[in-house]
Amino acid sequence: MHRYEVLLLTIPEITADEASSLESHLAKVVSDLKGSVLSFDRWGKYFLAYPVRKNDYGIYFLMRFECDVENCKTILDALKTTCAVKYSELIMRHIIVKLDAHAPLEYQRPESLEETPSRDVDSFLKENKMTGLMASSRGNRQKDESMAESMTQEERL
Amino acid sequence: MARKVKLKISTRLLRKKARRSSFGTAKHCRFCSNKDNVALLDYKNASLLRNFLTERGKILASRISGNCSLHQRALTTEIKKSRVMVLLPYAASTY
Repeated sequence: MHRYEVLLLTIPEITADEASSLESHLAKVVSDLKGSVLSFDRWGKYFLAYPVRKNDYGIYFLMRFECDVENCKTILDALKTTCAVKYSELIMRHIIVKLDAHAPLEYQRPESLEETPSRDVDSFLKENKMTGLMASSRGNRQKDESMAESMTQEERL
Repeated sequence: MARKVKLKISTRLLRKKARRSSFGTAKHCRFCSNKDNVALLDYKNASLLRNFLTERGKILASRISGNCSLHQRALTTEIKKSRVMVLLPYAASTY
């Protein structure tokens, strides 16, 4: 038995339907040739290291599967054609890597944008001790300015 | 007048020794010393690979990172795979 993994980088605008159809199609390719899918993970949205097809963001999917030694070449060819031709509009990059059959299936991956909660400006300013720039104090300053303006107007009158 | 002390070792060698010790402890391969790190050496683990890049995104020389040649070669292939999959930059303009 050989064990492989396929990492896909898709466009950020991929819908849930397209993702599920992609998953089922890839699973069908593998299972047609007596392979078995071990896992299909959605990593989530990422900020890319460099823009690809003018996209700054992308979504990663990781599929792992096992197959027999005789069928592995045809499966890999079929996967390549599905990634590079059939779903070429959705998939920007793909890579197929052979895994060690006895190694554990755990792996490390970078944190996606969906996992790291986006922080608002105020909490960032508080952490970095820049409270003077915060929105509330900004509002106060505007109030002060408007007060000063009204004062000057009164003086004129 | 003070008598000149005769040195047993040449001054050039002494200076060389001082230079060597001034850089702190000797470098060692991070993957040879800790076998757990070898399992983590993977193209998907971009946060680990990022430690072996310069600010500009170039691969650090083993002369600097201290890796042995075996693991340096393995690391290089993983970084290049990671670059293809857009997890690491080829060249970073802002970092």
